[in-house]
Amino acid sequence: MTLSDPKVYLSLLVFLPAVAALVLAVLPRLADESYKLISLAVTIFVFILTLGFFRSGAPIDFEAGVAEMQNLFNVDWIPSFGIQYFMAMDGISFPLVVLTAFLSVLAMGASWPITKHVKGYCILFLLLETGMLGVFMALDFFLFYVFWEVMLLPMYFLIGVWGGPRREYAAIKFFLYTLVGSVLMLIAILMLYFNSDLTRLDAQQLADAGIVSVEKGGDAAQSFEKWKESDLPLAQRYAEITKEADLTQRKQLHTFNILALQQMGQHTDLFDGEALWGKSTQWWAFLLLFIGFVIKVPSVPLHTWLPDAHVEAPTPISMILAGILLKMGGYGLIRICYPICPNAGYQMAYFVCFVGVLSMVYGAFAALAQKDFKRMVAYSSVSHMGYVVLGLGVWSAVADTGYNPDYWKMGANGAMFQMIAHGISSAGMFFMVGVIYDRVHHRDLDKFGGLFAKMPLYSGLAVGIFFAGLGLPGLCGFIGEVFVVLSVWKYSYALAIISAAVVILTAGYILWAIQRVYLGAEYKGPHGEAITPITMRELSIAVPLLVLAIVFGVYPTALLNYMQPSVDMQIDRLAVWTEEHDNRATASNPLGSQDGQVADAWQR
Amino acid sequence: MDPDTTLPVLLMAAWLVPLASFVLIVLFGKYMGPRGIGAGYLSVLAIVTSAIFSLIAMFGVWLPNHDFPAAHESEHSSSTHDGAVVSATDESHSKDSHSNNPHPDYYTGDWYSLGEFGTLKLTIGYYIDSLTVAMFCMVSVIASCVHIYALGYMHDELHEQFVDHEVTLSSGEHLHRKGRFYRFFQYLSLFCFSMFGIVIAGNVAMVFVFWELVGICSYFLIGFYIERHSASTAANKAFIVNRIGDFGMLIGMMALWSSVGTFAFGDMKNEKGEVEQGLFSLLRPEESEYQLAPPAGMIAEQKRMFAGDPNASAGDAATPAIDPKRNTQGQWLLFIAGVGIFCGCVGKSAQFPLHVWLPDAMEGPTPVSALVHSATMVAAGVYLVGRFYPCFSPEALLVIAYVGCITLFIAATIAITATDIKRVLAYSTVSQLGYMMLSLGLGGWVAGMFHLITHAFFKGLLFLCSGSVIHAVHTNDMTFMGGLRKKMPITAYTMLVGCLAIIGAGFPLSVYGLSGYYSKDAIIEQAWSFGSVNPQHAILKWAPVAGAFITAFYMFRLWYMTFAGQPSDPHRYDHAHESPRVMTGPLIVLAAFAIGIGWPIFHVNDLLEQGRPVGTLSATHGELLTNLTIPSEHDSHVPLIKIPAGIAAFCTALAGVLLASIIYLWRLLNPDELKESFKPLYGFLWNKWYFDELYNYLFVKPTLIVSHCAAWFDRNIIDSILHTSAAICKACSKVVDALFDQTVVDGTVNTLASGTWGLGLWLRKIQTGSLRQYVMFIVIGTVALFVTISIVQAYFIPTS
Repeated sequence: MTLSDPKVYLSLLVFLPAVAALVLAVLPRLADESYKLISLAVTIFVFILTLGFFRSGAPIDFEAGVAEMQNLFNVDWIPSFGIQYFMAMDGISFPLVVLTAFLSVLAMGASWPITKHVKGYCILFLLLETGMLGVFMALDFFLFYVFWEVMLLPMYFLIGVWGGPRREYAAIKFFLYTLVGSVLMLIAILMLYFNSDLTRLDAQQLADAGIVSVEKGGDAAQSFEKWKESDLPLAQRYAEITKEADLTQRKQLHTFNILALQQMGQHTDLFDGEALWGKSTQWWAFLLLFIGFVIKVPSVPLHTWLPDAHVEAPTPISMILAGILLKMGGYGLIRICYPICPNAGYQMAYFVCFVGVLSMVYGAFAALAQKDFKRMVAYSSVSHMGYVVLGLGVWSAVADTGYNPDYWKMGANGAMFQMIAHGISSAGMFFMVGVIYDRVHHRDLDKFGGLFAKMPLYSGLAVGIFFAGLGLPGLCGFIGEVFVVLSVWKYSYALAIISAAVVILTAGYILWAIQRVYLGAEYKGPHGEAITPITMRELSIAVPLLVLAIVFGVYPTALLNYMQPSVDMQIDRLAVWTEEHDNRATASNPLGSQDGQVADAWQR
Repeated sequence: MDPDTTLPVLLMAAWLVPLASFVLIVLFGKYMGPRGIGAGYLSVLAIVTSAIFSLIAMFGVWLPNHDFPAAHESEHSSSTHDGAVVSATDESHSKDSHSNNPHPDYYTGDWYSLGEFGTLKLTIGYYIDSLTVAMFCMVSVIASCVHIYALGYMHDELHEQFVDHEVTLSSGEHLHRKGRFYRFFQYLSLFCFSMFGIVIAGNVAMVFVFWELVGICSYFLIGFYIERHSASTAANKAFIVNRIGDFGMLIGMMALWSSVGTFAFGDMKNEKGEVEQGLFSLLRPEESEYQLAPPAGMIAEQKRMFAGDPNASAGDAATPAIDPKRNTQGQWLLFIAGVGIFCGCVGKSAQFPLHVWLPDAMEGPTPVSALVHSATMVAAGVYLVGRFYPCFSPEALLVIAYVGCITLFIAATIAITATDIKRVLAYSTVSQLGYMMLSLGLGGWVAGMFHLITHAFFKGLLFLCSGSVIHAVHTNDMTFMGGLRKKMPITAYTMLVGCLAIIGAGFPLSVYGLSGYYSKDAIIEQAWSFGSVNPQHAILKWAPVAGAFITAFYMFRLWYMTFAGQPSDPHRYDHAHESPRVMTGPLIVLAAFAIGIGWPIFHVNDLLEQGRPVGTLSATHGELLTNLTIPSEHDSHVPLIKIPAGIAAFCTALAGVLLASIIYLWRLLNPDELKESFKPLYGFLWNKWYFDELYNYLFVKPTLIVSHCAAWFDRNIIDSILHTSAAICKACSKVVDALFDQTVVDGTVNTLASGTWGLGLWLRKIQTGSLRQYVMFIVIGTVALFVTISIVQAYFIPTS
């Protein structure tokens, strides 16, 4: 039980905020300020814990340049259903975990203007942080689902109690939308669970799934033998089931292990059975999961909860919502949808990309029409998150291109980069809106103007952050966007052209907003006397965001070093899968499968 | 000094010094002396340092290591060349002057990577050839002049109270604000950094990065007077119109990226020592004698594109690959890539149809107009066409030529009627950029680049002179000027030099003239050379000549209206005065350059010839348009073309000056009467061919309408579907409540309750309190139990 044990360290990381929330709940009545200070201290401590991973060589660290899961541990939780307390991080989740911890600190700092039921606010906020961290670290599907739901309720109350005038409407809309998503996800989880079978995986695959632990440099087969004889409940059930020699009689060993499900999706036909209306299990699972995740992203046409939620939510909650909650959708796509259901993803790739492009274009157009500052920023999120869906989906490793995964890698890395970049820029944008809202209590874009003269420092920072959103080179937004856009042509040139056109609209709505809010000769709205220069507290939130935006924009390798190996590995696996899939299809159907036909057409 | 190592370092230093200045001013500008005057000095120091580094790179490293070709005709560098990273300089090629030219000497490498995906690499690196060095010198020298000039021009911003007479507040007063001296120089420094970034860039992606950065600098500088609505609108317009060009550029980049897989211009060695080929070698391989030959990746990608078309057969028909005589494989994609990249240049260099932003950009302070919007940034588009030149197919070049031709004509005509001195110059800039594009499109690479450099000096000069005038009379409107040459002689005569340079004044058929004489004649010669082999494109031959006439007319109109004749506004005239030395100094320096930079003894032409892109010397023929021939640039020097072209250029320019003199100097014709007699034409030109109005109706309004539709769709369709389904849910639950809950569920419960109640009532009857009766019940019960158990045991439970 030392801190260098991943089990302890990761659990501490995830549950510390929840424990602190409990403590706050039972503490005797304190001054409001103290609750905020305690919560801030906790979020800072959690952030320091995540920074601990950067000490390379320390007993617990996160190594850059490693593709596999790190700090992995699993403990049986509900053995009879094969549910485990299973967490780890790889390059996909680690940056998101750090981002979560970081933004939580800033959002807590941005919570100072909150004066209503401060104790309740802090408790819910901390619970929310546990949920968010848990989602990114959980590798057991059941555990993932639990964290997913844990996050939902605090958010509902944070919007519904501390929000603006239409908070109840917004909160219920958010809640119901997300709930629909999670119900669909639950169905998909159960579908996958009941079709899964651990006994179909070989030693190496079990090792890759984190079930059989292999010493460094050890042999998977040997470790597997050892594991079978161990007294772990799972190993015992495995042994019991595999005693049955007749494969037709053998029972299935179901699992919620996400990594194992990925292996099954890519290496077995477990999810290929027909489920409904001629479509396979994985087709339905993919569709359900996809809908569940793109609600969160959110993609058009399932996005209308977002503007309402953002407009009504208090500033720090908007920061969290845009900065982290939206990322869970993208994270779900890359961690769950594609690797577990590759065949379905392959079939629906164009649909996915189309949804991404549609969101980009539609979100940008809608942003252009908004009169409410925060609503405009919310629609910009819809547009920017479209890049994520698009970048993940550009399945260009097909026969036509000789199964070249490079462009897809670029797209997927761009999408992941965009998630982090958007986490920084959108949180910053919402915070900047919040700063001015706290002073003048309105958000009507037509009733600002001249802020540069009255709040020069604030305006300078805000313009910087908005330019990060605009995708200006040298700032973080550019890298993600350009990676994604450049990768699309290889997949579909029509989508590529449309997605490239979005740069014009983005420039349009952001520059227009800047002009109306910050430029001009004089302030046109009410409460002009309340406009005071930015405070130190606000500065200490805005400056780190802008600095990060610049660092990632100028030196993206700082982030890619951690992220890229894992993303690349996943894309490589899917590219290999695609090739095998096509070969199988051609072998079983000498005339050429449906997928292969296009390829054949031009080869002739 | 070894150019291989010193050139990148020197130019990198020249590139980064302005960045350092920018960062320092951002952080500490406010504290640098009263109103940040120190920031101005810092910025000047930075750019002068850059200029020194650039000049060292030129005179200390480049020239000593690279000899000029001995004579113009016996071409093709046999320059000694040591240590280029990868050099394809092959001296055997210099023997035959008709074979295509190999790669020029260049040095390329990467500094660091933005992202690497398998074989795909996006990097920040450098590509240095003679064009790069020349551009560095040009930009840094002009920028130095402009910076110094701005110290004087912007001194108003040093005041604690700056009164902006163009902004009227709601209270009816003019705006009073603090001066922003340091902020101006902060943006100028950032601009210089970005501009050098474009010039030094080693790949298209890096060009794009700095392309956007100069765009944003331009945005900040145009909108420097943030309080003026017109300024911020012009800034937005500039940036958004540029983004439209960038959209095309992105498409071109995607087409290249997906088919060739690299953005690097030159070849460079990777860590393993293998040579990674850049775009130029891939598209013009040595095997095909540096002729443009789409690589395999491009051919495959084009096939894939047409196959991916839903109407695959139609796609095949559109690909005339069926024709065995024509090799169009990959040519379409090459064309898309070329035109796409050119779209970016159209935006940045304000070419038709995206030229509308540049005149509005004159809202910025005049030094900005001189540096950003005439000499350097807008020339970046031309520079990129020149840099990317080996990758343009003949068809793409034809597009470039036509765009340049249309632009030079439209802009020149608009300049005739404009009365805002800066706008005349702005349209003149657009028109001159059109000349450069035309020249490049017709195969005149050296001519176009040469004009880029000479134009930068004389146009920078003209703008600074106009700034000096505006500084003196506080208006841009030429109708309030006149006769100023007596008040401000230095400005007047330096501006006259600029005017003479821009119209290409010189002694025809001799080697004596101002800088514009050399470059403009070279362009017209190239146009005539092109016209002689492509009679179907005769308009490209005549447009530049017509343009020369109009240019001469409007430039001298400008000079006469401003400096000659009688003052039209005596009040302003009386207050006018020559500008301080800090402003006239740069004017004189630039005037010297405007006179002499083109002189053959300075070898600018030869320097550029050293950088001639690979494979562009021999004539090329179109693959898609088979009757298109891009002539070799050297064919334009034959007397048969040179003499008539030179005479035509001279005569038209002279005619233009004469016409301007007749109307505005000698007043033989009254301009107002002319205005009346050509009223429809005048109105058309005065309204700038109605481009702004047209675009407003064609693009801006529809975009806003679509955006409102999207917002409306969200609120009224998607949300109402949601609300309706929520309402249906609620209604359903009410029905369920009424039908099921209240009857079945509640009914059952109620029945149960009343049943229990009834049972209780009934059972109460047995509660007689009679002990005997109770005993009897117990006995009966016991017996009944016993019997039941016996039966169950006997019949239902199997005996074991």
